[in-house]
Amino acid sequence: MKRLVIILAAVSLMGLVAGRAWSISPEAQNKVVTAASKNVIQIGLSYRGDEIHFFGVNPVPGADVITRLTAEKEEVIKLSMKGKVGPFWMTVKQYEVTGAPFIYKIHANKPIGEIISEETARELEIGYPAIKNRMKMHLVRGQAAPGDADKVFEGLVNIKESDNLYNIVEDPRRLEIEEGKLFKHYFRFPPKATEGSYQVETFAFQNGELVGYGKDVIEIKKVGLESWLTKTSQESPVFYGIMAVLIAMGAGLGVGMIFRKGGHH
Amino acid sequence: MEIYLPIAGMSLNFFLVIGIGAVVGFLSGLFGVGGGFLLTPLMMMIGIPPAVAAASDSNQIVAAASSGAFAHWRLGNVDFKLGLIILAGGIFGGTIGVQLVYYLRQVGNFEFVMKVVYVLMLGLVGGAMFMESLRTIMRSRRPASDPVVVESAQPKLSRMFDRLPLKMHFHRSGLHTSAIFPFSIGTTVGIMAALLGVGGGFIMVPAMIYIIGMPTIVAIGTDLFQIVLTSANVTLQQAFVNKTVDLLLALVLLFGSTIGAQFGAMAGKRLKGEQIRILLAIIVLAMTVKLFLDLVLTPEHLVSLAPAKGGGH
Repeated sequence: MKRLVIILAAVSLMGLVAGRAWSISPEAQNKVVTAASKNVIQIGLSYRGDEIHFFGVNPVPGADVITRLTAEKEEVIKLSMKGKVGPFWMTVKQYEVTGAPFIYKIHANKPIGEIISEETARELEIGYPAIKNRMKMHLVRGQAAPGDADKVFEGLVNIKESDNLYNIVEDPRRLEIEEGKLFKHYFRFPPKATEGSYQVETFAFQNGELVGYGKDVIEIKKVGLESWLTKTSQESPVFYGIMAVLIAMGAGLGVGMIFRKGGHH
Repeated sequence: MEIYLPIAGMSLNFFLVIGIGAVVGFLSGLFGVGGGFLLTPLMMMIGIPPAVAAASDSNQIVAAASSGAFAHWRLGNVDFKLGLIILAGGIFGGTIGVQLVYYLRQVGNFEFVMKVVYVLMLGLVGGAMFMESLRTIMRSRRPASDPVVVESAQPKLSRMFDRLPLKMHFHRSGLHTSAIFPFSIGTTVGIMAALLGVGGGFIMVPAMIYIIGMPTIVAIGTDLFQIVLTSANVTLQQAFVNKTVDLLLALVLLFGSTIGAQFGAMAGKRLKGEQIRILLAIIVLAMTVKLFLDLVLTPEHLVSLAPAKGGGH
C-alpha cells in the first residue's frame, strides 16, 4: 500500500510538472457508493467459503466498472521448482516470493485492455502484469536459470488460481451494469481465504480515465472452535499437543468400552 | 456437508473424511494392522498437506491403538519390560524423525523422501506378503506336497545380538537377550513413524516375531502398548516443532475408523488367513505403484508451494 501511495504521489507530481490536467489519485475521484450484502465472514465448523454481493451506483452513467478484491498479508511464499534428477522428479531449487497480494480478484464489465491503457493499468495495479511488476523473488536454494522469473510467476498464479485466490473475469454478465447506472456483482471468498482484512475497490472509467472510486472492507475471522484450535496450536503448542494426545487416548478407550458393551468382542 | 479443518486450512466433505476413515478402519479390522500406512497416502491424495496428514494421522493412531492396547492389557498380553525398552528406542527415533521432517520440509523435499520411503517399505512388505500367501494358497490346493519348512526357532540376527552386553531376562516373552537389540529396533520404527505418520505395526510385529522371537499374541499386545506411547510422542513433537496436528481431522478419522474396524473384524471371520493376506498384499502393491508413478511421471505443475519459515500454516 505504501508503495502505491508513493507511486501515486510521484505520478501526480509528474502530472503537475507536466502541467497535465488529470490526476490518477483514486481517492480524489467521485465516490462510488456501494452496498455489500455483509461485511464480516465467519469461519465456523462447516465453513466452505462465502459469497458477498455488492451493489453500487455508477458515478458517471455509462462508465465502465472494474472491481478488485485484494488483501495484503505480508506473506513470504516459498516456491519449490521440480526438476528431473535421474528418473525421479524432485525439488531442485527454491525461490522466496514477496510482495504478491494474498488474494487478487478482478471483475470488469469488458476486457480490461478495452477500458484502460496498459500504463493506467500498471499505475493502478490492475491485471497480472502489475502483480508481476511489484513481486520480488530471490533464490534460496539451487541454481538460477534464465526464464525462472516467468516460471515462478506462472507457477504462483497457477497455485493461487487453483485455490481460487486469484482470478480475472472480464464479462458483462459477471459484473452487470443496469442501464449504465446501477452495477452489481459478487466476490466469492474461497475456503483458502484465511482470517484477515480484505479490500474491495471499485473503479469507474470513462474514455480510459478514472472518474470514480470506492472502497469496502470485509473482515474474515475464525469463530468458536476453529478460532480456538488455531490459536492454541500456534500460541501454546505444548498445551495443544498434550490435549490432542489426551483427547485421542480418551476417545480410544471410550470407543473400546462402548463396543465391548455392545458385545462385538 | 463440509467441515473446515483449522490446521490443514481447508474445507473437505465431512462424509469423504469419515468414509476414508471407515475404509481404512475396515481394512485394519480385517487385516489386524493399524492402517496408518494406508491413511496418510489417502489423505495426501485428497489434498491435505503431507506434513499435516502425517501429524494428524499419528494423533489418530494414539486413539485407535489405545483402545486395542487396553483390551490386550486385560488379557495379560503386554510385556511391559520389553515394551518399555522398545519404547525408549521409539521415542529416541521419533524425536530424530520429527527433526528430520522439519529439515526436509525446509529443503522442500519432504514429500519426495516420504514417497520414496513409502514405495520401498510398501513394495517390500506387499511383495513379501503376496509371495508368502500365494505359496500358502498353492500348497493348500495340492495337499500331498512337501512338508512345511520349519524356520530356525532362534533367528540369526537375535543370535548375533546375544553376544552384546546389557543382557536382560524378559519373563513374559520368555526371552533372554541384550537390551540394545529391542532398543535399536524401536529407534528404526520410531523414525519411520514420524516420517510416514504410521504407528509402525506393520514393520514392528513381524520384527518382534521373526527377529526378536516373541510369541505372536504377546508381540501384538506389546506392539499396541508401545504404539500408543510412540505415536503420542510423535504427536507431541509434531505439535511442538511443526504445529501440524489437526485435532479435528484426527477425531473425524477416528470416528470413521472405529466403526469401520468393527465391520472389518466381522468380515475377517469369514475369510481364510491367506486369503486376507493376499488381499492386503494386492492393496499395498497397488498403493506402491501409484506412489511410484508420482515420483517418475512428469508432474502437472513444476512449481509448488513450500512451507514458509517456521513451518506453520
